[in-house]
Amino acid sequence: MLVHSRKGKWATWTVFFVLFLPLFALPLLVIVAASFAGHWSGAFPSDLTAEHYSAATRGESLQALTTSLLTALGASLIALAAGTWAALAAAALKRRGEGTSRLSRGCGRILDALFIMPVAVPSVVVGLAVLVAFSKPPVILNGTSTIVVLAHAILVTAFAYQSVSAAILRLDPAYEQAAASLGARPAYVLWRVKLPLLLPSLTAAAGLCFALSMGELSATMMLYPPDWTPLPVRIYAATDRGATFTGAALAVVLMGATLLVLFAVSRIRTRASYR
Amino acid sequence: MSSGIRTMDSGIRFDSVSVAYGKSVVLDSLDLTVEPGEVMALLGPSGSGKTTALRAVAGFVRPVSGRVFIGGRDVTALPPHRRGIGMVVQQYALFPHLRVEENVAFGLKARKTARADIPGRVADALEMTGMAAYAKRYPRELSGGQQQRVAIARALAIRPGVLLLDEPLSALDAQLRSGMLAELARLHRELPDVSILYVTHDQVEALTLADRIAVMDRARLRDCGTPQELYRAPRTAFTASFVGNANLLPVSVGVGSVSLGGAEVKVDTSGVAAGVSATLCVRPHLVGLGPGPNSLSGTVTEVQWRGATHRVLASVAGHSVKADVRELREPPALGSAVTLHFAPEDAVLLAAGVSDE
Amino acid sequence: MSRSAERLSDGDPVVSAAVEGREPALRDDCPQRTRQVPAFVWALPPLALLGLVFLYPLALVVRQSVRPDTGGTSLEPYADVFASASFREALGTTVWLAVGATVGCLVLGFALALVIAFVPFPGGKAVARFIDVFLSFPSFLITLALLFIYGTKGMANGLWTDATGTAGDGPFQFLTTPWGVLIAEITYFTPFVMRPLLAAFSQIDTAQLEVASSLGARPLRVVRKVILPEALPALAAGGSLVLVMCLNEFGIVLFTGAKDVTTLPMLVYSKAMLESDYPAACVVAVVNIAISVGLYGLYRVVSRRAGA
Repeated sequence: MLVHSRKGKWATWTVFFVLFLPLFALPLLVIVAASFAGHWSGAFPSDLTAEHYSAATRGESLQALTTSLLTALGASLIALAAGTWAALAAAALKRRGEGTSRLSRGCGRILDALFIMPVAVPSVVVGLAVLVAFSKPPVILNGTSTIVVLAHAILVTAFAYQSVSAAILRLDPAYEQAAASLGARPAYVLWRVKLPLLLPSLTAAAGLCFALSMGELSATMMLYPPDWTPLPVRIYAATDRGATFTGAALAVVLMGATLLVLFAVSRIRTRASYR
Repeated sequence: MSSGIRTMDSGIRFDSVSVAYGKSVVLDSLDLTVEPGEVMALLGPSGSGKTTALRAVAGFVRPVSGRVFIGGRDVTALPPHRRGIGMVVQQYALFPHLRVEENVAFGLKARKTARADIPGRVADALEMTGMAAYAKRYPRELSGGQQQRVAIARALAIRPGVLLLDEPLSALDAQLRSGMLAELARLHRELPDVSILYVTHDQVEALTLADRIAVMDRARLRDCGTPQELYRAPRTAFTASFVGNANLLPVSVGVGSVSLGGAEVKVDTSGVAAGVSATLCVRPHLVGLGPGPNSLSGTVTEVQWRGATHRVLASVAGHSVKADVRELREPPALGSAVTLHFAPEDAVLLAAGVSDE
Repeated sequence: MSRSAERLSDGDPVVSAAVEGREPALRDDCPQRTRQVPAFVWALPPLALLGLVFLYPLALVVRQSVRPDTGGTSLEPYADVFASASFREALGTTVWLAVGATVGCLVLGFALALVIAFVPFPGGKAVARFIDVFLSFPSFLITLALLFIYGTKGMANGLWTDATGTAGDGPFQFLTTPWGVLIAEITYFTPFVMRPLLAAFSQIDTAQLEVASSLGARPLRVVRKVILPEALPALAAGGSLVLVMCLNEFGIVLFTGAKDVTTLPMLVYSKAMLESDYPAACVVAVVNIAISVGLYGLYRVVSRRAGA
C-alpha cells in the first residue's frame, strides 16, 4: 500500500525484523534458553539440563506458583465483580435515557475517574498505602495473604472497570429497549440480556486481570508475608542471590501458567461470543 | 396499576405531546389518534420527529409536556416494560445469544406467562410469520428477511394491543421489501384489533399499508388523512411534494382560472379567493407533452430516461416543471421549445395560507 | 392546523382539563422514579468498597507525610526530603528516564506499527498477536533477559571475548547504568504505543493512501501528510500512558540491581522497607502520585479527544 516496489518492500521488512526480533522475540527466547542452561558464558548456553525445572516445580517454588495462581484468581474475581458493578452503575448514571441530568452525568464521570485512578498511582505506592492503612486497628491485615490479594485486586480493578465500561459503551441500546418493550423489568434485562451479551468482554477482562496479577511485583514486594510468596517475588529472590538460571526457569513457569490461563479464557470467550 | 396493562388494550392517542432535548424541540405538540385496529403511518423525512413520536409511545423518550394514551389509559409516566406494546425496529435487535424460539418466548417469560402456555404461543407466533421451521436457529443464521419475521413474531407473541414498527423494512433490499409489505398487510388482516403505528420515510410503504397517513416535517404534524385524500387532494405544499413529488407552481388566482407567469390555466378555484397568490399542484405523471386543455410553453432543461418512462424537466415562466411520460422514441433536445399540458381536474390549488411556509 | 389536530382538540373536555391540572407534576412525580431505585444508589456499594481499600489508604499516606516521627503535624518531612540529595537525584533520574523511554517508544512504536499496517507481510497478524501476548507478561522479565544478553557474563560479552580472544570482561557494561533501565523500558513499553496506533491505522481508509500515491506523493510524504495527522491522537494517548507507566515502573529498576539507579518508586520502597522511614516514604509517594495522577488526567483528556 505504502511501498510499492518489491525491493523497497523487502528493505522495509528487513529493517522491521532487524528491530523487532532482537527487541521483542530475543528476550523471551533467551529466558527459555537460560532456563535449560547449566552454564552460559559464550554465545550459547552449554551443559543443557532440566534440573532448574525440577527445582522450580517442587517445594517452595511450587508453593509460590500455587500462591500466585490463588492470588490471581482471588484478585481477578473481586476485580471483575467490583469493576463490572461499578461500570454498570456509571453507565446507568451517564446514560439513563435522554432525560439524564447534568448532575448525574457528572457523577458518572467522577466514578470513572475514581475507578481508573489506581492505574495512575504507582503500584509501590498502592502497596505502601495498604500497608499503612491495614497495619493498625481497626483492621490488621499485615502479614496475611489477604493483604496481598487485596492489593492485587485494587490494582487490577481499574483494568476490569475500563474494559467492561468500553464494552457497555459498545453495547447497542436497541437490545435493552427491545427487551423493555417486551415487558422485561430492568433486573430481568440485566440478567437475561445485558450480562450474556457482555460475557465475552467479561471473560476478556478476567483474563487481563489474571495475567496482570500473576506478574505483579511492586506492591507485592511491600506486602508479602513469608508464608505467601508469589512467583515474581521468588524469581527476584533467585536472581538476586545469583541463581539466574533457576530464576529463568521460574519465569518460564510464570509465563507458561499465564498463557495457559489466557488460552483457557479465550476458549470460553469464543464459545460465548455469538456474533 | 398493579395489574399492569391488559394485553388487548388497543388504540393510541397523543395529546399535545412535545419532546425536546435541551432547547431543540424534536416533537412539537403532537395531537393524533390511532383508532383500535387502525394502521397509522407516520411519514416524513429524517429529523421530522416521526421516530420520536413512536419512541414516546414506547416510553423511551419522556415528553416535556402532553400525555400519551394507550387503550384509553394514560401511560405517560409508565416505564416501557409496563406499557404492553410490541415493537419492531429497523435493525430488528434480535437477541444474538438466544435461539429464534427463545427470542419469541422472551417477552412471555419476562411477563411471567404461565409456563405451560409459552410453547403454544411461541409456535402460534412463529406459524403466523412463517418461521416455524427456524425455531432452533440462532439469529445470525438467518437472512435479513427472516430476522425481520422473527422480530415481528417476537413482538406479536405477547399479544400487544399496539404494534410499533420503526422503519421495519428499510434494512431489506427492494425485492424483499415489497414481499414483506404484502406480509404485513396480511398480518394486519389476521389481527384486526391491533393498532399499528408505522414509521417510515417511504411514501410507497405508507400508501400501501396505512389506513391513514400522518405527514410530519420539522417536529410538527403537517397533514393527516387517508392515502387517497393526501395523494389526490393534498392540503399543504409539503404533503404534495413529499407524497408523490408534485410540481408546485406559484400562481395568482382569478375567477375559475389562475395565471402562471401570464399564461391562463383553468382549474377549480373554489375555496380560494380571487386576487390572492396560491400554489398550483400537479403530479408529474399527470403532465403530458404537446398541446392540451391547459397548455404551458417552456424550454427543455433536462431529460432523464427511466426505462419505462422519460422524465422531462422544462422551465415554464422561470419555474421548473416535471413531466413523467411514456418512454419516448425521440426525446426532445435540450433547450428546445416544448408544450406541456394537464387536465384541469388533475390539478389542486393550495391557498397560500395552507402552505406551511 | 391539520384536520386531525382540529378534531382532537375538541375532544373530551374532562380529560383535557385533568391533563392541564397535572401538567407541572409531569417531570418528577412519576411512578418510574419513585418505584425504582435511583441510579446513584447502585453506584454506592462499589464506591464504598473503593473508598475503604484505596482512597482511605491513600489519604492515610498523605496524612502520614505531614506527621514526622517527632510527633505533631508539620511540613518538616517535606523540607527534609526535598533537601536530600538522594531525592533530587531520584526525581531527576525518574523524569529523564521516563521522558527518554517515552520518546524511544513513540519513535520505535510508530515505525513498527507503520510497517505492520501499511507494508503488510504474511504473518503480520501473528506479530500483532505476539505483541498482545507480550503485554500480558510482567516487565521485570525484560531485565532478566537483558541480564543474559548484555550482563557481565552474558551472551554479547561472551561473543566479544570469544571473537577478540581478550581475557576479562567484555565491553557491554551498561546494564547497571540508567541506560540499561532505558533499554528495558523502551522494549517493554513500545507495545503499549503500538496497540492504539494499530487501532488508529486500521481506521485509515487505504483508498486515501492510494489516491495520495497515485497523485505522485512519495511514501515519506504520504506518512507525513496523511498518516501522521490521523495517528497523532493515538500517539499522544499512547505516549502519555507510557510516560505515566515509566514514572511508576519498579520491577525493571529492581531487577537491574544497580545501586546508582534510583527512581521515585524505588526510593519509596527503600525508605519504607529498608530504612523503615515511613514519613519520608510517604512524602516521596505523595510527590510520585502528584506527578503521575496529574499526567494521567492529561492522558484521559487527550485520549477522550482522540476517541480512544
